Amino acid sequence: MKTVAIAFNTFREAIRDRILYSLLVFALAMIGGSVVLSKLSVGGEVRIIKDLGLAAIGLVGILIAVFIGVGLVYKEIERRTLYTIITKPIRRADFILGKFLGLTLTLAVNVAIMGAGLVLIASAMEGRLTWELLLPVGLTFVKLMVVTAIAVLFSTFSTPTLSAIFTLALVVVGSLANDLKLFAATFGGPLLQGVVAALYLVLPNLTTLDVGGAVVHGRPVPAAVATLAGAYGLAYAAALLAGAVWIFQYRDFK
Amino acid sequence: MSVRFPTACLCVLLLAGAAAAGLLGVLESAHPRVAAEAEAPWLPPAGVVRPLFLGYHALAADLFWFRTVQYFGGHRQTDRKYPHLYRLVDLTTSLDPQFVDAYQLGGLFLSLGRAYPEAAAIYRKGIEHNPDRWELPYDLGRMYFLDLGDIPAALEWFERANALPGHGHYVPRLVARLRARVGLIEAALEMWERMLETTDNEYVRKMAEEEIRKLRARQRGAPATAAPSPRAGGGGPK
Repeated sequence: MKTVAIAFNTFREAIRDRILYSLLVFALAMIGGSVVLSKLSVGGEVRIIKDLGLAAIGLVGILIAVFIGVGLVYKEIERRTLYTIITKPIRRADFILGKFLGLTLTLAVNVAIMGAGLVLIASAMEGRLTWELLLPVGLTFVKLMVVTAIAVLFSTFSTPTLSAIFTLALVVVGSLANDLKLFAATFGGPLLQGVVAALYLVLPNLTTLDVGGAVVHGRPVPAAVATLAGAYGLAYAAALLAGAVWIFQYRDFK
Repeated sequence: MSVRFPTACLCVLLLAGAAAAGLLGVLESAHPRVAAEAEAPWLPPAGVVRPLFLGYHALAADLFWFRTVQYFGGHRQTDRKYPHLYRLVDLTTSLDPQFVDAYQLGGLFLSLGRAYPEAAAIYRKGIEHNPDRWELPYDLGRMYFLDLGDIPAALEWFERANALPGHGHYVPRLVARLRARVGLIEAALEMWERMLETTDNEYVRKMAEEEIRKLRARQRGAPATAAPSPRAGGGGPK
């Protein structure tokens, strides 16, 4: 119950942030602008709208998760509101989980608005309801949960600037996880391959949550693959949150 | 006399903006090579572009496809020479190997530029990556038939398209007519007419109309069985 109260408070705080609206307007403009851009192409017009729309949702979502997420805990320390909270009978784990869920709720609302905009435009262009886009949008939301968890983890022990750099770096590495493995397999010796194999397991593999390409090309995405990818994202986010709670639990605020 | 701050800002903005636009104009007229080099881009390999787009390969392919279309359109209206077209289409399709429109239209653009081996390479690459799509072997067969006059190769590719699910209702008829080796102008007309019927693209529609007009004129002045002269051979599926 305390977690829920903190989550709603974080949500209320996040929706007052002007950066959120700037990014949301930018994403909607990008999705709407894709219709104009597609007119410049010969062939593949609807595909361009879908690609650009899905990319806008992913990229803007990542920016929201990073730039709001990295300040979640740090702001409370800086404003000294955290000292009031931790003196109350609230567990530190509740505080971290509440913060995470609050930002996740904010992202859910944003992704829902952007996803609805994309589905409406794509449906109007194709003359049928493009329900299939909900799968990549849903998995993008899971990806954003992972990014939020990374941002919250860094936010528990670092400044917003450093946290933003670390989080964005992990997002970049996570987006290139498959390329990294391929690179090591092609060019590396046994040692490099072993190191990369270990890193591959530890670092987030965000490419597993990207099924947009397959859906846009009309290729089927097996339910088992989508479910496993979603479960992987949730498990990874849970592990990161456990780490965040652990660090925050032992942090000395004196 | 004091000038108010917002007025001063506006004046500077307008003056600096006008100066920048003017300087750009002077730069372009004094050094036309700058514009020409930008128009003929340095294209990085797909292996370099892919990581830069952080997993958004399809978006990267879309952006290079825009560039391809602009490049082709620009040269089509001017010198009709396309030295960088193959590399642009190849890069686009390497970034997204399932981008069937890029294979189809890229191959068509290349064949319009008489770069037949490159067009065939693009179609073959598309067929390799999309073995279940009948449109690509059909388009390759059409190029062998209409542009190269290589009837045996055309027939082999049409047969391959015919064997794939979802093929157009006209493909079996074309195969039958080519097998009989008669009525080749009619077969060519039929191909362009089917293209006209099935395309939702204004550009392709105009092109098909132009080809139909040419063929009809040829049909009026030549025997109905005249076939495109064979210029290449051995282009069938390997």
